[in-house]
Amino acid sequence: MSAMLEVRALVREYPMGDERVAALRGVTFDVDDGDYAAIVGPSGCGKSTLLNLLGVIDRPTSGTVAIGGERVDQLSDGRATEFRLRRIGFVFQRFYLMQALSARENIELPLAEAGLGKVARRDRARALLDYVGLGAREGHRPSQLSGGEQQRVAIARALANSPKIVLADEPTGELDARTGAEMIALFERLNADGTTIVVVTHDEDLARAARRMIHMRDGVIVGDERAR
Amino acid sequence: MSFAALCLALAIAQSQDSTRHIAIDERLAADAHLHLGDRVSLSATPGESGSVATIGAIVRRSADPAEIARGEYKVRLHLTQLQDLLGYGDRVDRFAVATTSEQVIGSAAERINSAAFGFRAHRSRDIAVQTSATFAVVSRFHRAIGVITIAASAIFLLCIMLLKVDERRRDVAALRLMGISARTIVRGVVLEAAGIAVFGSVVGVGVGLATSWLVNLHYQGVYRTPLRFSIVTTDIMLGAVALSLVLGIVAGWLAARRLVHTPPLALFGR
Repeated sequence: MSAMLEVRALVREYPMGDERVAALRGVTFDVDDGDYAAIVGPSGCGKSTLLNLLGVIDRPTSGTVAIGGERVDQLSDGRATEFRLRRIGFVFQRFYLMQALSARENIELPLAEAGLGKVARRDRARALLDYVGLGAREGHRPSQLSGGEQQRVAIARALANSPKIVLADEPTGELDARTGAEMIALFERLNADGTTIVVVTHDEDLARAARRMIHMRDGVIVGDERAR
Repeated sequence: MSFAALCLALAIAQSQDSTRHIAIDERLAADAHLHLGDRVSLSATPGESGSVATIGAIVRRSADPAEIARGEYKVRLHLTQLQDLLGYGDRVDRFAVATTSEQVIGSAAERINSAAFGFRAHRSRDIAVQTSATFAVVSRFHRAIGVITIAASAIFLLCIMLLKVDERRRDVAALRLMGISARTIVRGVVLEAAGIAVFGSVVGVGVGLATSWLVNLHYQGVYRTPLRFSIVTTDIMLGAVALSLVLGIVAGWLAARRLVHTPPLALFGR
């Protein structure tokens, strides 16, 4: 199986006064196409920093990141934005849906940015809402949806432009246990349908549901196991 | 008909005959409870026995700001009637000449000035400018106050809009992470700000029109004049909407630019 994600000797340091603090100290790993990896570890171990670098939101101090064979660690701001639009789907802990837009319109946002026509993006948004089980809620605004439903919309939005990989940052962090379990099932279905997923989480149930668990501590990988 | 402001002693007479008709202003009619057809006695000084006249018309006062603070009444008499009343005889203090076109006003005034000794001819426009000099100064004060008010509120609104856009930094960060370009975000924020600005200015114009109507209603009642104290013209309305639109666009653009030039992670507070 080919590698969707290739991370090599990744270092990320932040200036703090006269000193430099290393959040990542040489991280190397691959994620295969169609894999489902959970990055776990205690707070401050560098999980979110790693996810930011994988998501082309931040640049490493050294090391390389390639997604789908394309180096992304030194992209310009404009190229990085374009890459995120077409190749990466983001799922956030707090959903970050646009409150003024309906569920369908939220999903249409990245489709419109990608240049899809009105009818095509409406059809695509409806199909994605059906996929996450919210076909009947397309006209509802985020304030009219429960937390779990909002996260489903956010997942549908992340899938809008058929990304190569979905990156999720604590996607069950704001949900209760029952809704969290539904979200875990949705991620599993998403992966079973061929989407590569990397999730950063403290949620043990979510981590156990992944095919692979990468353990981090103090900015390095200390364990990498196939969960099942 | 001649036109004069008089000190009048009025006595309502009940009998009907062929007396001459006069016109009185509506303020006098209201205060003295006079009606059309009533007969009154006119004299130059209070207490004198005067000539009797019939009220033939009640006229509306002119909208003249110079008359607002004056408590005078107005009566219109025939010229001969006025001459008899005042004992002036055949005398002319001033007269008006209407010309067929504006181009000949200058030459007509020159001819009158050279031919009529003791008279001085003036353009009515020049007289209007002279007599309204006080109002021109007041008007300039109003304009200055208006400009200062607009400038101060513009800065205030600009700050409010900047703060409002800044409140949405997390939304903007999420949009950037989703791959929405800075240009799209700036365009969206500017369009939204412009829409809000136009909507706000239309509401403001509506409030202005309503307030203006209330002000006129109140002061026209207080001073009993048809003068409009507050006028919201089309130019003012268009100016307000245009100014608001410009402010909205500038504020939206400045705020959006600041947001999109901030790294998304910083917008998330990380």
